[in-house]
Amino acid sequence: MTRTSDVIDVLVADATPVRRLRLPATRAACWLLFATAVMLFVGIAHGVRADLALKLHQPAFVIGMVAAMATGILAALGAFIASVPGWSRRWLLLPIPASLVWVVTIGYGCLTNWVTIGPEGMSLGETSKCFATLVLVGMPLSLMMLTMLRHTARLSPRPVIMTGSLAVAAITAVALSVFHPLDATAMILLWNLGVAALYLSLSGRYGQRVLSWVAQR
Amino acid sequence: MRPCILPCKKVRPVAAKGYGPGKLFLRDNLSCAPQNLRMLRHPRPPSSLTRPEKEGRDSLTSGGHAEPVATRADGKLDWSIAMSRAQAGDQDAYRQLLQNITPYLRALAARHIQSADDIEDTVQDVLLTVHSVRNTYDPSRPFGPWLVAIANRRIVDGLRRRGRVGSHESPAGNELETFAASEANLQEEAADACLVREAIDQLPAGQRDAMRMLKLEEMSLQDAADASGMSVAALKVATHRAMKRLREMFQQRGSKS
Repeated sequence: MTRTSDVIDVLVADATPVRRLRLPATRAACWLLFATAVMLFVGIAHGVRADLALKLHQPAFVIGMVAAMATGILAALGAFIASVPGWSRRWLLLPIPASLVWVVTIGYGCLTNWVTIGPEGMSLGETSKCFATLVLVGMPLSLMMLTMLRHTARLSPRPVIMTGSLAVAAITAVALSVFHPLDATAMILLWNLGVAALYLSLSGRYGQRVLSWVAQR
Repeated sequence: MRPCILPCKKVRPVAAKGYGPGKLFLRDNLSCAPQNLRMLRHPRPPSSLTRPEKEGRDSLTSGGHAEPVATRADGKLDWSIAMSRAQAGDQDAYRQLLQNITPYLRALAARHIQSADDIEDTVQDVLLTVHSVRNTYDPSRPFGPWLVAIANRRIVDGLRRRGRVGSHESPAGNELETFAASEANLQEEAADACLVREAIDQLPAGQRDAMRMLKLEEMSLQDAADASGMSVAALKVATHRAMKRLREMFQQRGSKS
């Protein structure tokens, strides 16, 4: 067995200067800024939905959107704070009230219309476009979040990554409710949290290997 | 599973109450911890110097020869300052810090783990993790909770891993015999026979043939003499020499191992 003093020698020899992490709030703000930029670009490319002005007068739509946005912001904040060792894990509970409000306003529209079978044969339904936008917005956000939280790979990644995925899901939901006429929240939640859960169960099964590709050495 | 060590809530009352005689070891090793935590949770910890002041101090010690990196009022190493130096690449400070926290980590691990080997394993695991996430430490925050959060994580992971392994595996000692009955130990006899055959193969040709015919195939002297064309006397001499040589070979092997 290696002696502990030898381990210390090796670590000391490897002690290169490191850049400290910024404050969790700052990092959360950076991520949210990035999310805003992604949404902006997708919005420019895609255009907002036609009936947005009308929708903004419906209280249910506005409440759902505000709740989703609050969930996204608070979940990102919670994930970044709780990812630093020494801070309380209770920060992960931060997005729960907002996410409860959000879940209550969820509709199922987008889950039911994958393909349209019309007179001109089978074509991709609105759902498929929905899904494409979802992946387009969600993927960069997820990758960014994963990279920014990579240091938790050696700590306790699961709750933090799940909260991070909730943030991604919420932001994606906001984007989709602005861009698409169908309510896609159920699909977004299924997709984002499902992928995160799959990823984490794999990483649990195969040890740290799955997460360690982003982990710093 | 919740980590079960909460430094600020548990360590302090324990220090006030004192340990029973059976836990003296822990207290001795931990003696620095509660003070450390108390010190670090002070509203103005020693590390909260203004930036120019701090840089001045940094350059003084990292470039110069001042031996103790950063000490507190009671003469012990200030972990928070040592870590902030280590983040800047100061190897002396880093070594002192790691050596200083090792007994504390050992005591933390000893609360949950019995085997001394496993404790040492866990301590090394914690040190490696501290190294890989040392950029997450913020010197404006107390060092104790940061370290304990990491240590708890590794301790819990270790317990889970050992639990998982332990549920599937059982340690096998160096038992020479599985059962006393000789039928159960045929394998060893086969191994012995194999060794003898290998040794015979190394003998010179005449001796090897004599051994094979007379000892392994158990032919009579006369039959062996007819089969090989050697005289009976020559066969006797060859067998005698072969036995002597084999005895030497096995004695050498025995003294080697």
